[in-house]
Order: sequence, then C-alpha cells, then structure tokens
Amino acid sequence: MSIEKSPLRRKLDKLFVPLTVGPTLLWIAAIIVYPTAKLLVSSFQFRNPVTNEMEFVGLRNFQRLIFAREGGNAALGIFNPSFVSITTNTVIYVGFSVSISFLLGLGIALLLDKDLKGRGWFRTAVIVPWILPYVMSGLMWRWMFQSDFGAINGALQRLGIISGNIPFLSDGALAMMALIIADVWVFTPFIIIILLAGLQNVPEQLYDAAEVDGASRWSRFWNVTYPFLKPSILVALTIRIIFDIRALDLVWVMTQGGPGKSTEVWASWLYRTAQVFNEPGSGAALGVVLLAVTFAIVASLYKIFGESPYQA
Amino acid sequence: MSTKKSPLNRLRRSLGLDTQNEWPSVARERLLAYGLLAVYVLIIWFPIYYIFVTSIKPSSEVLSLPITFLPQSPTTQNYVDIFTNRPFDNYTINSMIVATTTTLICITLGTVTGYSFSRFDFMGNKSLLLSIVGARMIPPIALIVPFFQIMSNPPLIGGFTGSLYDTRLALILTYTFFNLPFAVWIMKNYFDGIPESLDEQARIDGCSRWEAFVKIILPMAKPGIAATAILAFIFSWNEFVFALVLTSSEQAQTLPIAVSLFVADDFVDWAHLAAGGMIAALPGILFGLFFQQYIVSGLTQGAVKE
Repeated sequence: MSIEKSPLRRKLDKLFVPLTVGPTLLWIAAIIVYPTAKLLVSSFQFRNPVTNEMEFVGLRNFQRLIFAREGGNAALGIFNPSFVSITTNTVIYVGFSVSISFLLGLGIALLLDKDLKGRGWFRTAVIVPWILPYVMSGLMWRWMFQSDFGAINGALQRLGIISGNIPFLSDGALAMMALIIADVWVFTPFIIIILLAGLQNVPEQLYDAAEVDGASRWSRFWNVTYPFLKPSILVALTIRIIFDIRALDLVWVMTQGGPGKSTEVWASWLYRTAQVFNEPGSGAALGVVLLAVTFAIVASLYKIFGESPYQA
Repeated sequence: MSTKKSPLNRLRRSLGLDTQNEWPSVARERLLAYGLLAVYVLIIWFPIYYIFVTSIKPSSEVLSLPITFLPQSPTTQNYVDIFTNRPFDNYTINSMIVATTTTLICITLGTVTGYSFSRFDFMGNKSLLLSIVGARMIPPIALIVPFFQIMSNPPLIGGFTGSLYDTRLALILTYTFFNLPFAVWIMKNYFDGIPESLDEQARIDGCSRWEAFVKIILPMAKPGIAATAILAFIFSWNEFVFALVLTSSEQAQTLPIAVSLFVADDFVDWAHLAAGGMIAALPGILFGLFFQQYIVSGLTQGAVKE
C-alpha cells in the first residue's frame, strides 16, 4: 500500500510536471514562437521579383508602409496617404463597432440579469449569432444589404420608408455602416456573456441597501454595479478591440475593402499585401505593426482602468 | 371588480401579482424587460430567418421581385445541388476532421498542462503561464506570412512530409495555435476550483500522482473539459483566414471557404450560398441551443479569471 511501492512509479511521479507541461511548451514553441520569430525576420526582408530570393532590406518595409515615398503625395506632411486613410478606416470601424456593441451588450446583459422566467431561452437566443461562422454571417449580411433583392431594401420599401433601392454596399459610407452593423450583430453576444458573468459578482444586499437609501437607478448603477463590473468591462473591451483590429472575415466577404478603398482596414490591407500582391516582406512589416499596436492597446486599457494585466 | 378574468388580470397573475393590488413598478419593469428582449431577439434572428428562407427557395424566386419573406414553393433542391454539383461532402468531411482533431489535441494537452499549472510550483511557472496566455494576444492574421512559408516548406519534418500546403494537417497544426493557449488557461482555472485536498487524500490512499489525476481529479473536471472542447471545436469549425491562405482545393478546403466560393466577381449564387451557409452554421446553432451553458462557462473561465 505504500506510496514507494516501486521505483518506476516514483520515477514517473517525479517526471509528472515535465511530462505534462513539456509537450505543450514544445508545441507552443513550434507553432507560436517560431512563426513569430519568422515574422520579425521577414519584416526586414524584401522578395526580389527577379530572383525570388528574400533579401535583407533593414527598415525599408516599415518606411514604405508608414511614410511617404520620396516625391510622393504626402498626407499630414510625412505619412503615406494610404496608411493614413486605412488607419482612419480601421479606427472608425473598430471605434463604432466596439462602442455600439458595448452599449447594446451592457443593456441586454442588465436585462438578462433580472430574475425573469424564460431567461435561459433568451440567453440562448442572444448568443447564437456569435457562434456562427463569421464568413456565413458576413455573406448573410451582404445578402441582407443587397440592393435589388436584399431584405433590408425590401422591408424598407414595404413599410413605405423609401421608394427606390439604396445601394448599401456600393457607397463608401453606407458600406462602412453595413460592415459595422454586421460586426455589432456578430460580437454583441460576446459582450453580453462576459458582462453577465460579471454582474453575478455584484452582491444582492448592496442593491437592497441602495434601494433603502433611496438611490436613483443611475446612482445605483454607478456606485454599486459599476465597481464590481469593472474587471469584466475591461476584459470585454480589451478582447473586443484587439479581435476587431485583426478581423478579416467580415470585411473580406462583405466588401473586400471596397468600394474603392473606403472599407479597407489593416486586416484586409495586410492580407492583400501579403497574399494578393505577393509581397511577404511588406505584409510581415504590417503584421509587426499590428502586433505592436495590439500590445499598446492592451497596455493602455489596463492603465486607464488602473489594473495590471493578469494579477496573480 | 367585474374584470376578474380580463387579460390584464391574467397577465398580472402570471407576473406573480395580487390582482387586487396596484400595478407595481416591479411588474412594469419586468414587462418592459420582456418586451425589449423580445424585440431584440426578433431583430437579431431575422437575418438568420431570411438566409434560411433563401436556402429553401428555388433560384428563380430568390431573384424575383417583389422579394418574398415566406417561400412560395419551398424546396430542398439547393441542398441537393450543393452535394451533387459541388463537393460539399468533401468540404464537410474536411471541416469535421480538422475541427475534431484540433479539439482532441487541445483538450489532451490543455488538460494535463492546465492541471500541472494549477497544482505545482515549478521553475518559472508563473512567467510560463503568462507567456502562454499572452500568446493569445498575437493577432493570427499577423502570422499569415510565416505560416504560409512554414507550411509550404516545413522545417524538420519537411523531409518526410514535403509541402503541407493544401493539406488538412496544415490547418490542424495552425488551429492549435489559437486554441491550445486558450485550452490551457480554461483548464488551469477549472482545476483551481477543485480542492487540492482531494489530490492529497488520494495520495494518502496510495495513489500515484498519475492515478490521483486520472482517477480522482479528471472525472471531476468533465464540465471544464466539455466547455473547452466545444469552444475549440466551434473556433476551428468557423475559421476562415488561414483556410483561405493555406488551402486551394477540395482535398483540404473547409466549409467556410466552400461558402465563400459561391461569390464570383460579378455574380453571387445566393440560393446555393444560403444552403451552404446553413450547413456551415448547423453545428453552431445546435451547440448554441443545447450546450449554451458550456459555451458561457468556458468563455467566462477563459476570459475572466475567477
């Protein structure tokens, strides 16, 4: 019965941590560390169109991406105009999508937090959009916004709100709006799930106490709910923002960055540069920029909310 | 008084109110909450309804005016077509193999590693865990260039396998990249919630570490494993960008790619696209309807610590 029954067993027990952690670390090194290192290397290289060899070019890829070429048209003095316009698009897309879905998600989460009958059904019904393949959702919205046979034009006409067809996806601003609507549709469930979990941490007695004190609904939210919800808000916003910056699926299947370049965002630009135009060096440089921006955003969000990431 | 059986009173009773009482603010609030939620659910389900309706309309009806919100002559022809005229059987099998294998790898490694991170204080475990979690912040799209290069010309194993471009293996390897760190993190948090005294009791009763883990702790971790598995499966099933970059033919292309292939430059075959989209969306809808609580708990464990 003794633990030290056999030396083999003892040896195996000693090796428990290396055997359980080792394979995962090796796997992660192969699948994450190595590609990331390769990304950094590629960002300093340029594919020579004649020899097809990758040549070391230092920081030239970054320079070409971000700054104006010599003699080229420069926006804001020194920056490359396409970099400026695509960055603006990204900020608009991410800014509107995240704030709208956050407010909507917060509202729905507060409603679902109430002790309602059939709450489980509502919860199921509201999270489904997030579980569907983004590609299918993007194409579904493209179909909704289709100008001749789409449901939105159809419904608006039937209700007598408009008489002609609105060409949603062939007008720059409207296409961006359509994209934001699709994005909000897909990702609001994520906010709802995270905030709903956070709302469970608010002690019920505090609500009662606030009620007795005659606190208004608004002050109850700010003084009771918000402090407990803050960590969840932080997580929801962080993940939402960094995932929106990298999201290609919806943009690619709905507008491909068009019409013109009016919905081109970093993700679609990166894909186009690396794959369509076959410039792996520039694509990798953009990838590095994206990586840096992601870390900067995460760091500043945690700074704003006054918490260090991953407290032990 | 004479309104004892009026619909209003029935409503009051179903909201748990005494019919004699005033209409209290709680009930009004509840009614408002129901109303808002119902409107919201109707709005967000409308596009799903419309794409489903499109999938059971004949192509001629899809492209005719005025558009119909109820199918005039429902048909399953579109579904039959995509499995006969297009290799949707291949796409579906590819999706299943890729998602299932990725899930198995992730829950196997994620479970054992998560357990060790939860129970043991070994060299550098805190910073190791931090870097595994931090890996989730790396935008996968930033890595399409290196992944394309690596899969086209894999180092070390390249001599045995040749190029992995356009293989299911390439997708499986790539998808563990998103899912494995996530799996380790969820499982670590799940094991943290199982008291360590159970391990100790098992050890006192003569179990080795392995036996304590496999016989005592693992069975208790089933809900956590289920949540991890469902999320990993959904993420892999839905993935699009790497499948777009790493595959080019029906021997490896998955359903999201197959659906996007209905879009030609100036023409979209909406009726068949809708049918393909419904096939691709099916596991998500089923998981959402039947395993919602696992998805929620997995996501919560994975995103918010504690």
